[in-house]
Amino acid sequence: MTMAHDHNNEDCLAMFAKLSDYLDNELDALTCKDIEDHARDCIPCKACLETLRQTIGLCRSLAPDEKPVPEAFSRHLKTLIQKISSKKTPS
Amino acid sequence: MSISPNPKIRTDDDFELIQAINAGHSELFPELVTRYERKLYNFGMRMCRDVQDAEDMVQDTFINVFKYLKDFRYETKFKNWLYRIATSTCLKKKRKSKYAPERELSLDEFIPDETEKIPVQVPGWASIPLDQLLNEELSAVIKDGVASLPEKYRLVLVLRDMEGFSTAETAQVLGLTTENIKVRLHRARLFLREKLKTYYDHGA
Repeated sequence: MTMAHDHNNEDCLAMFAKLSDYLDNELDALTCKDIEDHARDCIPCKACLETLRQTIGLCRSLAPDEKPVPEAFSRHLKTLIQKISSKKTPS
Repeated sequence: MSISPNPKIRTDDDFELIQAINAGHSELFPELVTRYERKLYNFGMRMCRDVQDAEDMVQDTFINVFKYLKDFRYETKFKNWLYRIATSTCLKKKRKSKYAPERELSLDEFIPDETEKIPVQVPGWASIPLDQLLNEELSAVIKDGVASLPEKYRLVLVLRDMEGFSTAETAQVLGLTTENIKVRLHRARLFLREKLKTYYDHGA
């Protein structure tokens, strides 16, 4: 559900710029409190905050989804490295 | 005369192996490859989304690591140094290929304009537990979104939100200030949030 709303006021814009820092715990306690107070009373900002939080969470949930290295490439890499390292020590 | 290493580096999981390799046991280098080939390959896939490009990046990175390992001074964790080399290898490859010029993302483009409908409630997808929300289709939307980010923003997002580096570590890896990392990360996340918003607004 949506409606027209004068959302882009100074407080909203200031909060918008700091959302990632807030979600990463990189702000001081006072600024965090300002953001929490503002988000409590401003639904559009709360929606921004929560959708951004979820975006980050989704990205992080994908992180462990790692593909194995293709076997042929892994073998090739090990052979190459063994060849180089048997020739000389790192210089 | 041997120099006592900084106590901080003793917490580096790779310290002993690197010491041994640099002391002449180059036959141990493949062990370093085994430790990191999977991480680097997946980093390459997240950055390039192309198997051949990812493999080339991994191979060139390990060759460079072998070449310069003697110069590694433990000013940072080995893993951060490794990613620094991987990142620069990745960027060099991109410059040689056919990628479009980089686009700057500005904060303004993500601020809802006056014509846009403003939500009066938090969208439902924002409050569903992640494990219930994430499926194959959504994973593809996120991966496509990450891939469509301009490279300098994609690098920061991948390192911070997928590879698990802190802001300070990402700054070290990329040779940028922490402020710069924060700015790029916020814009990259907002870009991705727009992609998800579009996906859900169009009836996912």
